[in-house]
Amino acid sequence: MHNLIQKLINRLPLDFRILCRQFMLRVIDLEALSIQADVTGFLGQFAGVLIMLSLVHSLVTYVGFVSMGDPQARLGFCLHMEHHLIATMMLVVGLFTVLSWDATFPDRRDVMVLSPLPVAPHTILSAKVSASAAVLGIAILTLNCASGFVVPFLVGVLHGTPWSFYQSLAAYWIAIVGASAFLYCSVLTIQGFTALLLPRRMFLRLSAILQLAAFGLFLAVYFLEPTLSSPDAMAAPENQGLLACLPSYWFFALFNQLNGTLPAGFTWLAVRAWIGFAIAICGAAASLLLCYVRTMKKTIEEPDLVPGARGLHWMPWFGGSLKTAIALFSIRSLTRSRQHRVAFSFYLAFVFGIALSLLRDELASGAASEITVGFLISTFMMMTFAVFGLRSVFALPVSLTANWVLRTTQLRSSEKYIAATRGSLLLFAAMPAWLLSAGLAFHLRPASQVAAHLAILALLGWILAELCLIGFYKVPFTCSYLPGKSNIQLVFWAFFIVCLPLAVWIAEIELDALHHALKFACMAAVFAATALGLFGFNGFRARSAVLYFEELPEEVITTLKLSA
Amino acid sequence: MLEVQQLYRSYRGIPAIENVSFKVAAGEIVGFLGPNGAGKSTTVKIVTGMLRPNDGRVLFEGQDIAKDMVAFRAAFGYVPEEAHLYTYLSGLEYLQLVGRLRGMDEALIEAKATRLLKLLNLESWQYSPISSYSKGMRQRVLIAAALLHDPKLLIFDEPLSGLDVVSGRLFKDLLELLAAEGKAVLYISHVLEVVEQVCDRVIVIAKGKVLADSPPSDLVKLMSLPNLESVFAQLVKQQDTRAVAQQMVEAMRITHV
Repeated sequence: MHNLIQKLINRLPLDFRILCRQFMLRVIDLEALSIQADVTGFLGQFAGVLIMLSLVHSLVTYVGFVSMGDPQARLGFCLHMEHHLIATMMLVVGLFTVLSWDATFPDRRDVMVLSPLPVAPHTILSAKVSASAAVLGIAILTLNCASGFVVPFLVGVLHGTPWSFYQSLAAYWIAIVGASAFLYCSVLTIQGFTALLLPRRMFLRLSAILQLAAFGLFLAVYFLEPTLSSPDAMAAPENQGLLACLPSYWFFALFNQLNGTLPAGFTWLAVRAWIGFAIAICGAAASLLLCYVRTMKKTIEEPDLVPGARGLHWMPWFGGSLKTAIALFSIRSLTRSRQHRVAFSFYLAFVFGIALSLLRDELASGAASEITVGFLISTFMMMTFAVFGLRSVFALPVSLTANWVLRTTQLRSSEKYIAATRGSLLLFAAMPAWLLSAGLAFHLRPASQVAAHLAILALLGWILAELCLIGFYKVPFTCSYLPGKSNIQLVFWAFFIVCLPLAVWIAEIELDALHHALKFACMAAVFAATALGLFGFNGFRARSAVLYFEELPEEVITTLKLSA
Repeated sequence: MLEVQQLYRSYRGIPAIENVSFKVAAGEIVGFLGPNGAGKSTTVKIVTGMLRPNDGRVLFEGQDIAKDMVAFRAAFGYVPEEAHLYTYLSGLEYLQLVGRLRGMDEALIEAKATRLLKLLNLESWQYSPISSYSKGMRQRVLIAAALLHDPKLLIFDEPLSGLDVVSGRLFKDLLELLAAEGKAVLYISHVLEVVEQVCDRVIVIAKGKVLADSPPSDLVKLMSLPNLESVFAQLVKQQDTRAVAQQMVEAMRITHV
């Protein structure tokens, strides 16, 4: 089998194979990784997370299905899980499009490097499309590796015929692949036509905004869309408008159509899926072709140097020249480096996801209500994701070769640098998460309890920031990064296993404390003491700390590990 | 002002530099020459405090820099060989970052940065990201950053790289004025013609060892050669470039093996 695949690959043109491999690895920026970077291993770890999600999802589905005795309840459960899987797949594909933003279109580097070489534009185009399709295909396969068989099997069990399993299996995979391709191609179409219609420089500026807008849209739809997968909800007249606007339900209907379980009144939804799919594919093909004909030429023709406008020259002061330097350096690196922006967006996805869920509950309840355990847990988790997320992005270097300037200008103690890093963590992670929580708590009563919770949340933000600073003797975005050192899967699952129960436990204690002044005072005192203790501990260790810019010892780097 | 004493540094037992010693006095421009792999970069890294020597020391105003690195860092300006910068920052933002890291007053940074950028013909591009700059423009940003805090010692590593003729001339004039101001200048370059014109003294290093340390005119006279380029070729026993070029052309012509 392996030999057959190898023979088929070898029959492809050499330049296509080389470019395809190169473009596939471009999902991760090689320059930002340190000397031991293992891109395939890094991507493999992400695939591992998706596989684990699929396994957990399948287990939950199977256990849920078996525990239900009533066939109608089982059918409803299966329909709900089926829609949930399609919606989740669309979210994952949406996040993939955000992560690989612009990767399918030729950038300036491609044009400048490949134009002088004897490589035809159609080879570049086909290599880019193949690379994107391959990575997308891997994402689809990994996320559905278990659920892609379990759900069709359970649907087949409900129908009770041997043929129905195979029918469900085919319907499932067609619906999932169709939904993924629809979303991916829709984004490509919008990107491509924006690039064609706008001047190149304006497009590049707008592209970053479009990327964040798409990110927000995917999250908002996923977390805010109502559950309409039951036959009654789908049939309700007031839901028809929503069903017509939500693509996940189009492909849900497509699955049922292919499975032979779609009621006659909903054929129009499946038709929407087919039409949407066809339009997205044609749009993406047209925009890609036009882009490769026009954009490459436009990129070469654009002037190399254009004077920049002064623009908004806001100069905030963060209480000292070093603090200002580090804070501005952090925020500029975060907002201007695509890679860092996208990496931080991954964590912000969880923050906004939780926030949007809370907002949905608020919109549903309408009137002012009391603080619940759910609200407390949500705000704790938002704070945790924001602070830990920024800390992990801080560890990704922005330009290792440019770090010499920080090394040669270190005129103050490492303690001052670590204090400046603390300031950046609090300013750009803890404070926004706190403000978001305060905004979401606006309709909650009584106000005294809201204020008390916000005080606890502020202390939690401080504690998390201090925890992040333990052993972090670096300037943000300046130290080399070893993907193998931080095992993503381990961190991811440890986070859920440890943080979520901890958040539930603290929230339950806090909810009780919010009704008793003495208990609350004790809780606040414990939080404040923990924060102060960690602050003191970090301060003490920072006094003897030495800033470092390489994860590996200097000797290993300068000798290229030849002795190993 | 700067004194390098018996520097020794090896990588996995292989010496990169051995017993490198020289001095740079206030108001003096000292050229530091050597072929590729001679140990220039290692020496510069040690002198700027980025690398520690296995042996030997660097004195600045009589004090070992290892004992008070902060004071030394405050006193020198450095233009590295490669223009590695944070390219998503604008030229002005980069200078502001450097000024703040050096603890300079905000108003002073603003005034000096804008003035230097204007004098280096970067005024129109001061708000553009450095990623859009040409090599010469990046080099000019580095020169501005090195001068921003009025250092006593300046270390220029191939500063003319990428500069146009006008900027090159401006830089040579700048070197002379800096020396007249009493600054010590360590000037590393491969452009021997410029070194011969502007440097008071020349240090030639090859295979990690100092081969010569004299004024350029003395070297030329002593070795009875027409110019510094010939002296350099003689000292470092440069390979027969013509013969190597011929072999390269022959290698280019190979069609099959």
